[in-house]
Amino acid sequence: MFLAIREIWYSKLRYFLIGLIMVLITWLVFMVAGLANGLSADNASAIDRMNADYFVMQKDAEGKLNRSQISKIQWKGVSQQTKDKNATPIGMKMTSVLKLGTTKKMDITAFAVDINGFIAPKVIVGSSIKFLAKGEIVIDQSLEQEGIRIGDWMVDSNSEKKWKVVGYTTNNSYSHSPVIYMNQATWIDWTKQDSYNAVVLRGMESQKIKLNKELELVSKKRVLQSTPGYKEEQGSLEMMIAFLFIIASFIQAVFFYVITLQKSHQFGVLKAIGATTKYLVRSVVGQIIVIASISVLVSIGFTYATSLILPDSVPFILEKSTFAGFSVLMIMVSLLGALLSIYQITKVEAIDAIGRVE
Amino acid sequence: MKSMVTFERVSKVYGEKTNQTAALKDVSFSVNTGEFVAIIGPSGSGKSTFLSMAGLLLSPTSGNVFIENEIITNLKEKDRANLRLQKIGFVFQASNLIPYLTVMDQLLLIGKLSRSRKDTKQKADRLLEKLGLSHRKHHFPSQLSGGEKQRVAIARAWMNDPQIILADEPTASLDSKRGREVVEMLASEIKRKEKAGIIVTHDERVLDLCDRVLMIKDGELQIG
Repeated sequence: MFLAIREIWYSKLRYFLIGLIMVLITWLVFMVAGLANGLSADNASAIDRMNADYFVMQKDAEGKLNRSQISKIQWKGVSQQTKDKNATPIGMKMTSVLKLGTTKKMDITAFAVDINGFIAPKVIVGSSIKFLAKGEIVIDQSLEQEGIRIGDWMVDSNSEKKWKVVGYTTNNSYSHSPVIYMNQATWIDWTKQDSYNAVVLRGMESQKIKLNKELELVSKKRVLQSTPGYKEEQGSLEMMIAFLFIIASFIQAVFFYVITLQKSHQFGVLKAIGATTKYLVRSVVGQIIVIASISVLVSIGFTYATSLILPDSVPFILEKSTFAGFSVLMIMVSLLGALLSIYQITKVEAIDAIGRVE
Repeated sequence: MKSMVTFERVSKVYGEKTNQTAALKDVSFSVNTGEFVAIIGPSGSGKSTFLSMAGLLLSPTSGNVFIENEIITNLKEKDRANLRLQKIGFVFQASNLIPYLTVMDQLLLIGKLSRSRKDTKQKADRLLEKLGLSHRKHHFPSQLSGGEKQRVAIARAWMNDPQIILADEPTASLDSKRGREVVEMLASEIKRKEKAGIIVTHDERVLDLCDRVLMIKDGELQIG
């Protein structure tokens, strides 16, 4: 580190510039990652926030909630094998609704839940979900922005069924559409059938449940990923992040390779006066670790500052684990970029120092 | 008096089979402690090759090189680097200082490389004092004159108290007065501390400071 630190200090501008590029890239990585996290939570927060571990679904539904259908008999079969009410049915349907008396349609997702079960949402305005009666619904607060108030009536545009809004929940969406909750009686009345989409399970003994051939146990994570649009959205953001890491690696590689080439005579002199290749490699690796670490720390600060000034409507969530993981990865990727320079250093021979004027 | 560097029928051939050029042909030579030898010769005569082999930077194609009667022809690169560090002090043409190290750090680096933490600082201070560079301690090479740079290079070469001093055209970038001063410094240190010195030079004005003058011509060593 003796050489590494002194050189960075001497060529401040040069190392500041490469550091700045690294800061910008890392900053962008964190921003895109935060956005990916935020969108993921925003997309299907009704599933994400559900206190559930597994879903029982039809096998051929491939984890897609809207494709699965569970009959009353199948539901009873599952619930008999669990205790403490650790199983509860869920019905869901994506539809469009309008406020009675207006013509503006809105896409929503309806969830039918047992109002005494563990997936019944918390009502933040209005009476408790336990008192939700037939024909009444609790809606996600985001619909308030569409002008819907407690006491309004909403109409399903297909079936012409009318429901009365009696309360708000918060942060419940599915496939980026707000979720409305209804009880099972409303559901049966609406869909004209006594079946659900899935059985939601919680607790560790879920995995022991015996299911017949048509059904399968699906983890909550897979249900999330099977939400319409979820994979496509996350996939494109993840691709951006991956590319940023590749770019970061190449930039470091090119920068350190060029300055190593430029310094090959100097490395020759150092070798001639007794520096081993190992010592010189350690010095370059040390420089990269110093530059990458400082860049990562600065960009964490920038990301945090940006998150404070972002408007609330931008979904942005960054967890410590994401910061930590990507920080380590960024430093690793930088070191990968150093391999080219290390190879160059091993090739320099001490003899280069003799008989040449710099 | 014992011999420090010995060449035994050393040859060096560059190139592949078809276009071989012999840089050195069957050279035998020895330099003893307290002896300062000058090597002269036209460009391309093999002077640099000669010095590189004495400094363990090159291996001979045939023949053997001994340092303090130990054969070093077949040593690994890592051991050579170590031996260079311990036994050999280089003074290069155009000083070849590390641009981003201050004068003091140039010397401390040698201490770092040889892992001898103890008293490197005092030693560096003493050397700089002796070479009249104390006031330049915290300057970078770009702030020094040519003569000062070359004196720093000499201080660096002396840092590990090497037994052998090798100088590659140390006066090339200096005017004749400064050049002579630099060679005088080398010569007096070699005499006083019983070291062995080899200087490759074009500069005939400093030859009187050397004990022996050898001439290389077309890869062959002749008594000058």
